[in-house]
Amino acid sequence: MRKVVTFTLVTLLFILSAFGLQTYLREPLYHSQSYVFGTLVDISIYGESDDRAAQLANRVLQDFQDLHNRLHAWKPTANNQLSELGQLNAAFEQGNKPIKISTDLANILTDATQLSVKSGGLFNPAIGHLIATWGFQRDEFSAVNIDDVKIQTLVSANPRMTDIVIKGDMAYSTNKAVKLDLGGYAKGYALDKAATYLRQQHVKNALINIGGNIIALGQHGDKPWHVGIQHPRMPTAIATIDLPDGWAIGTSGDYQRYFMLNGKRYCHIIDPRSGYPAQHTQAVTVLVPPQPHAGVLSDVASKPIFIEAPENRSKAAQAFGIQDFMVIDHQSTVFVSSAISKKLHWVAPNVKVITLP
Amino acid sequence: MLKLLRYPKSLLAELRIGDWLILLVSLLCVFYLFRTFWSNEQATKVQIRLGDKIYATYSINQQREIHVHGKLGDAVITINQGKARFAKSPCRNQYCIHQGWLTRAGQAAICLPNQISLELLGESKTYDSLSY
Repeated sequence: MRKVVTFTLVTLLFILSAFGLQTYLREPLYHSQSYVFGTLVDISIYGESDDRAAQLANRVLQDFQDLHNRLHAWKPTANNQLSELGQLNAAFEQGNKPIKISTDLANILTDATQLSVKSGGLFNPAIGHLIATWGFQRDEFSAVNIDDVKIQTLVSANPRMTDIVIKGDMAYSTNKAVKLDLGGYAKGYALDKAATYLRQQHVKNALINIGGNIIALGQHGDKPWHVGIQHPRMPTAIATIDLPDGWAIGTSGDYQRYFMLNGKRYCHIIDPRSGYPAQHTQAVTVLVPPQPHAGVLSDVASKPIFIEAPENRSKAAQAFGIQDFMVIDHQSTVFVSSAISKKLHWVAPNVKVITLP
Repeated sequence: MLKLLRYPKSLLAELRIGDWLILLVSLLCVFYLFRTFWSNEQATKVQIRLGDKIYATYSINQQREIHVHGKLGDAVITINQGKARFAKSPCRNQYCIHQGWLTRAGQAAICLPNQISLELLGESKTYDSLSY
């Protein structure tokens, strides 16, 4: 009888410890997902109380919303005024009369111009008129009538970031054809701002995802943050990869903003040289090592690789010091740089992979 | 030892406190290892998010239609014995519908204009976030 009692007690003890262990194993992980103006913002914070994490995440969302209002290329603000960027674009179109801009915007334009020059003009936020002609400055995308003459005119007008002149807090453009669209820059910029803010708040571990561009702070418990890379033609990840502290990753694809016309896909990534959407690439992913503007680079660096001819892709990556990149071409062949090939874990079945020398 | 096997009742009597401790510790070990390493690609649940909230989580092993009122209007999500998809959506480009059936844990379909997302969950998450 005594043994039965002991046995029962021990069993009870075991069950209790199991519950205890389960509570202990529950991770201190906060996760939020929000839509801010048509973009998904996904924030994970590890190791903070849920209340504090929620406060921090809300602040990041608000900052992103403010930035979005100011830098939106085609939407007016709530009281039907042009956004800060809209006003600047309107002034550019009028001629070269300087207008006042914020320090923030001046810094963004200076930085974007440097990056544009580095990319040999393949990253070109000055081609807003071309993007509008292709119908991508709208919330929904439908097929447009392709106006070859207009496209040709817009390309020969040669709008470049270097046409913009900034003196102190005044800016003007020497070329009326310049229309800024920071679609390939703003999310990365927001990512850097969010990372800086969270670090200032002494958050050690967080993963911020703004529209597919991701930056990692610290790690997920005792393991690095682990992210998936979208398969361009299937509702699944094609591969996963560890994102160590300070690293950023970004993907540009032809599957988020596009329309189909006569069986051909026209995506929002436009080659400034031809004025046409790039059609030989499905997706490009770049992995950016820790540096002050890792977020911006994760957004910007994938575009020139996407647009550039296959033989020049490595050169386009090198222009931004990118060692780790993956390209999926129009035939779904996957090309990986040798640096990234060691880091990827393949998820999708039957992936044909070619490692670049 | 032979005696113990012949008279199983005396087995318990022979166990000392140390034996019980070993037993307890090993059971806890098994429990811990099970929790840590038991993972499975098989999806068990469908999670629907609406805006910044989790709208609902359903078992995937059922036949069911779910109507969700999104930012633009009513979307219909179908769950069919181990798979799930967007069946109807008021959005213009219908990218979410084109994603087709989701079958494995970690797969997701997102409708940005209508602010509804659909994700299959398994025993563990395959990744923390997705670059797209």
